[in-house]
Order: sequence, then structure tokens, then C-alpha cells
Amino acid sequence: MSKHLINPDLCTACTTCVVSCPVTEATRKFRGPKATGPALERMRLSQQDRDTSLEYCSNCKNCDISCPSGVPISTLNMLARAKQHKNTRRSIRDQILSHGEKMAKLSNVFPGAKLANIGMTFSKKLGLLDMVGIEGKAPLPPYASQTFLKQFKTIKQVSYPDKVVFFPGCFINYNDPQVGLDFVEVMQKNGYEVVVDEAFVCCGSPLVVGGFLDEAHDNAVKNCANIKKWIEKGYPVITCCTSCGLMLKQEYQELFHLPGTAENARNIYDVMEFLQNLHDNNSLNTNFGSTASIYLYHAPCHLRAQGFGLPALDILGLVPGLKVENVDAGCCGISGNYGFKADKYAISQKIGERLFKKIKESKVDTVISDCGTCRLQIAHGGNVRTAHPVTVLKAAYAKAGN
Amino acid sequence: MMKKTDVIVIGSGFAGLISAITAAKNGKEVLLMSYGAGTLTIGGGIIDVLGYGDNGNPLAAPDAGLDLVDGAHPYKKVGSLAIAEAIAFFKQIAEEQGYPYVGTLNKMQWIPTATGTLKPTCLVPATMDPSSIAEAQDIMVVGFDYLKDFYPQLVAKNLDKILNLPNKISTAIVKLPFSEGRDVTNLDVARWLDNEEGRKEFIKQLKRAVKPGITIILPPVLGTMPDYTVLESLEKELKCSFVEAAGMPPSITGLRLQKMLISYAKKIGVTIIEKAAINRAIIENGKCIAVETKGLDRVRTYSAESYILATGGFYGGGLIAEPGRVVEPIFNLPVEAPDQQEKWSNEVLFSNQKQPFAQIGINVNSSMQPLNKEGEVVLKNVAVAGRNLSGYDYCFEKSGNGVALASAYCAAMSL
Repeated sequence: MSKHLINPDLCTACTTCVVSCPVTEATRKFRGPKATGPALERMRLSQQDRDTSLEYCSNCKNCDISCPSGVPISTLNMLARAKQHKNTRRSIRDQILSHGEKMAKLSNVFPGAKLANIGMTFSKKLGLLDMVGIEGKAPLPPYASQTFLKQFKTIKQVSYPDKVVFFPGCFINYNDPQVGLDFVEVMQKNGYEVVVDEAFVCCGSPLVVGGFLDEAHDNAVKNCANIKKWIEKGYPVITCCTSCGLMLKQEYQELFHLPGTAENARNIYDVMEFLQNLHDNNSLNTNFGSTASIYLYHAPCHLRAQGFGLPALDILGLVPGLKVENVDAGCCGISGNYGFKADKYAISQKIGERLFKKIKESKVDTVISDCGTCRLQIAHGGNVRTAHPVTVLKAAYAKAGN
Repeated sequence: MMKKTDVIVIGSGFAGLISAITAAKNGKEVLLMSYGAGTLTIGGGIIDVLGYGDNGNPLAAPDAGLDLVDGAHPYKKVGSLAIAEAIAFFKQIAEEQGYPYVGTLNKMQWIPTATGTLKPTCLVPATMDPSSIAEAQDIMVVGFDYLKDFYPQLVAKNLDKILNLPNKISTAIVKLPFSEGRDVTNLDVARWLDNEEGRKEFIKQLKRAVKPGITIILPPVLGTMPDYTVLESLEKELKCSFVEAAGMPPSITGLRLQKMLISYAKKIGVTIIEKAAINRAIIENGKCIAVETKGLDRVRTYSAESYILATGGFYGGGLIAEPGRVVEPIFNLPVEAPDQQEKWSNEVLFSNQKQPFAQIGINVNSSMQPLNKEGEVVLKNVAVAGRNLSGYDYCFEKSGNGVALASAYCAAMSL
């Protein structure tokens, strides 16, 4: 078992992270990554002090991306936040936002997704969300009428010897199942059969940012054991959510010391990296139909933090006639559920301003992004349609008529 | 294994970005591997070429010393012709990007610093152009309340001693509408001035105190974007000249230079992979055939015809000091260092001599190819640029970004 240790003393206080932190730019209430992360970590070793500034870190990972010394600054913040919340009474808001999976399960059993959505619309109108500290204006996602896992069962796949395991994550399973369905079609076009595992639980990302580290740890234990089982069978595990992917591969190793996480991580892929690998080995099905669509592409911070570039741009570029341009305007501001919080909504919108402006100026009607919550924020702030890259690829395969 | 590209540049500091841009301008397909945001936002965003000779005396002009450097110096390898080309190349990029730099090789520019001293340099953005200081009747040093790292009275007092002007340098403080939450840095003030509202407030406060025609020295806060919007609007309203002093990190002038170069690199088709920690190179028959990244998940392999190493010195992690030896961790290139570790430094830190540790690095030929002790090329398709190189003490002679620019240009041109 390899153990990943964090050494805050690797920080040379060079301030590069401060320059690239979008929250620091948007509000003075955040002291900035250098201060709340490695600098204060040394103080925390000797005394525990409540630090309200710590609540402002959005865990977007831009500090980690910019750090030349390899300090996982945002993870230091999350660990400190969890310590701070240990044994404190948590607000309903934090409970709700961190337990999306639990909430979704409740709404699916009783009284049903449709009713839950109506309930949410009413709560927004009546200001109930604001009462608990969730911003009524924020782009909260409605529940899908049927979960991905339920719909998956109705798909008749062609069986292939090459199989991949799909980790849908909460957002795709409960809110945006179409991405999962599109993923299955794209994999089928490439000669892979998709397997799902109903034993997978929430990756834990919303629990970590809410400071519910013990629960995130329990989820990590379950997921690691289940992923290991598949990987031992030789099946790679694929995500279509960049935050789930980052959590399963990197943050599990930074946050928890569990056996097998490093070995698992070697075989967990983001879908677009997986397709890029197929392409590099000349085994990607490139029988795409021609299109005249023009898109902007937004690179999620949690993808950039994974260190393999922006494969979606390369793969989408293979579709004849398709034009895609990297909007390259930094963080969208949503950072998981950060932008849903009443006291963070304005900050989140301010962070996204540059991106929204560029989108509006471009006059495109659809922005492509690999991350579900980025897509919510972009649709909300940029007033455009959004799509996951696999959805665009699925359409391109369909156009080829193969 | 990723599909093969023409050039892989390792490192996204000044040398890496210039290498990538030069190669892409020559029609190459370039992959820039970046780990961390480089040291550009720590450095000053100016191009020092050569400020002091080997004896520690200031030079009349950067080019006055270029031919006098000894044979081990990177400038000797690049040659003065290519140095001039590199400078012209950089100025052309800056011009195209709407953020032109001021200066030439045959004129030393002495710019004010945040401690009120002067330092020699070659190219500066127009916001740091010191020419108005020499012509000024009156100089005022302007600071901001709560801004650490820039004390106008200190700057004025020290500059008064050096410049010896007929009129005493005056000072003023601009009150910021924010101070809560955290320490105020140059970055906060620059972002405030990015907005028209901030500029209006700045102008309102200074209008009474400022006579038209004077020169104002202030910390580097004239906006975070690589353009002159802030400078021009303040000059127009207050009818005086502004000179940003070189200051402490986070460096706003460095940030502008970084933004300008990254945006230009992307514009001409350079692909940048962030958080790509190159762990090792795969070598076969004296050639590098691929490099590997190591993240927390798996090893990824990237392959190219040629490679440019621009990972920096000890600070950037491009050179690593171990007991008794210095290593270059990716290609394991031979590093020139004094045999005995006691000789790596002279004990007087601020002595009038170059520091041996500062000159430790990789020896190269005129194509920036790495050489072994016998002077033979070690890897045919690898070139080295920037602080990875041996033979110069940028701190002593003030040549940091100059060597990076010239060697990066030369390395990419020789591919």
C-alpha cells in the first residue's frame, strides 16, 4: 500500500496560488489559499482556532494546479475544515447540500421525483430554500423522472468481450441520466460493453466540501472495495463526471489512507481520456457524420487538475465540420455545490462573469463541458444550452448512420 | 502512448514559453508540459540582459558586456547576433499582443525598486519605463494605505539620495475602499484599478495633490491585464507620467507577461498540458524517445521528435542538490558543479563575487544541446534553456530573463 503524505513545508510562500485563486479575486472574505492552506496548517498543529475564512475555499483546485511545489493546498483546506466541523451541530443547508445522494434516494422512493421537483419549485417561490441558506436563484438541478441505473436496465447492449465499468456518480444518475445513456452508446460504437455496479455510492466530493469527512471516508471504503473487484477482473472503471474522477483517483489518496487506492487509480479513466487513448492506438471508431455545428468548450477545473490536458478538444475535433473553440475563461464559479449556498452565490456568479461574458459575445448556442455542475452554472449565467462531449459524439455517430 | 508530436517543451516559465512560441512560429507542433504556474508571477516581468560585469561594476549598456562574458556563459554559446534576434522576436510578440516593451540592447534602463534603489535592466513594459524620471522636474511617490511592501517615504528618501534632484521627492497615500478580511497586496490594488470605478476613485484622490507634468512612482498596480488601458486612462486624466517600481511577489508585471505569453502561445497553436509532472525520460541510442508524467493515478507517456528542457534551477526543481552532487532529475543530464561541496558557495552571501552554486547547471554547445565533461553531445534531440544552464549568476549580473529568452530562442531555432 502506498501512502500519500502531504507536507505543507514544501510551500515556499511564493504566492502563485494566490494569483490563480478565483475566490480570492471575487471576495476579500477569503484570506487566500496560501494563508488558509500551508501557512495556517503550521499553526493548527499547535492550536485549534475557528477560522471563518476557511469556509470560503471552494475546493476548485486552481491553487493545486498552480503550485510549483506540489502542495495540495485545497486538500489541506478541506482537512482543516472537517476538523473544524467535528462535533459541531451542522446546518440543515450543509446537511442537504452534502447529502445529495440521500436526498435523491428519498425523493425517488417517496413521494417521487416529479413531486420533489414541484416541491423544489414551490420552495424556491416561497423562499423556503433561502430560509435554510440555499440560494433560490441558484441553478439547482431538478431530478430526472427515472434514474440512470433504472434506464440502463432497459438498454439492450451488444455483448463484446471488452468491457468497461461505468461509475455514473450522483449527478448523472439522479439529475442528468442522458449523459450516462449517451456514454453507453458511444462505448457500444467502439466495441465495448458497459457494466454498472449498483453497489457504488456517492464518490464523496460533496461530503468532503461540507466537512463530513467521516462519511466521505465510509463512502471511499465502499467504492474502493468495489472498484478493486472490477479492476482485478481486468475491467477499467470510467467516469463522465470530472469531480467524481478526481475524487476516486486523486483525492482519496490525499485525504484517506486506504489500501488499494493507488492501484485502483491506475485503472480509472475519464471518458474523454479513454477515447483519446483509443484514438492514439488507432482503435477509435471515427465514423462520424458531418455537421456544421460551432461550439465553445469550457474546461472544468477538476479536469485540469488531473494532468492529462483537454482530450475532449482533440476528440471533438475529429468530427468532420464540427468547430470547437476553448473558451479559456477560467473557473465557472460553481465548484460543486459552492454556488448553491446563499452566502456564496454572489461570489460564484462573480467568478463566472468572465466566462459568461465570453459566451455571450461568441453568440454560440451550446457550450460543451465535461462537468455537470459547470454545465448548470454555464446555462444559468451564460444563458445557453450545454452538452457533455459524449452527447455530441453520440449525435455525430448517429449522423453517420452506422 | 500519446501520438507523436514535433516538440515537447518541459516547463512553462519564461524559457519554456519562449521555446514553445519560437518552435510553433517555425511551424512545429508543440506540446508544452507545465507543472505549477512557473515563476513568472514571482519575477519582475522585465527582461534583464546584463547589468553588471564580472568585476561587479555596472555596465553602460547591456550589449557593452555581452562580448566580455567568459566562454562558459550561455551568452557566449548563443552569440550576440542570436541574442539581438531573440530580443527583437520578443518585442515583436509583445507589440502584436498590444503590450509593447520598451528598451534596446544598447541602452541600460535604471528602474526604481520598492526600496528606493535603482536596478539595471534592458526591456520593461511601458508602465515601468523610467525615462520620465530623468526628465522630471518633480517626482511624487504614491503608495496605498494598508498596502504592505511599499512605503512611499522609504522609497522617496532613498531615491532622493541617489537622484539628487533640485526638488525634494514628495509622497502621497491613496486610501483604498477596502481593507477588511486579509492583507492588502499589489494584486488587490491592481484588480481595483482594473475597474473603472477604482480608477475614478484613484484619480479623484490624486487630482488635488498632483501637478500636471510630474512623474509618479508607484508600486506595480496598473492593472492585471497585458495592455495599457489603466496606464493610459490615468495619464490622460492626471496629465502626468507613471512609473511602476519593481516590487515583491505576487508580481503584477510578471502576471501580465505570463498572461501575454500564454495567450500568444495558445493563439499560435501550442497545446498546454497543466499539472503534468514529468518524472523521467526514456532514452534509446543517445536519443530521447519519450517522456513520462507521474500523477497520483498512472504514468502517461508523451513522445516527440525533439525535447526542450526548461525546468529551471534549484528553485524551480530543474536541478536538485544532493549530498556531494547536483542532479537534473528528468534526463539525468551531466551537471557541472565544483567537485567538493564546500566550494559550492562562498561564505559571504553579498560578496562582490559570483556565487558558485548560482552557476551550477548543464553545459551546452551553441545549439543548446547538453554536453558531458568531454564536451560531447549527450542526447541528440534534447536542448536546454533558461536556468537549467550552467555558467552564469543571474542575481549577481542581472541577466535572468535575458539568458532565458536568448537560450530558449536559440534552442528552438536549432531544432
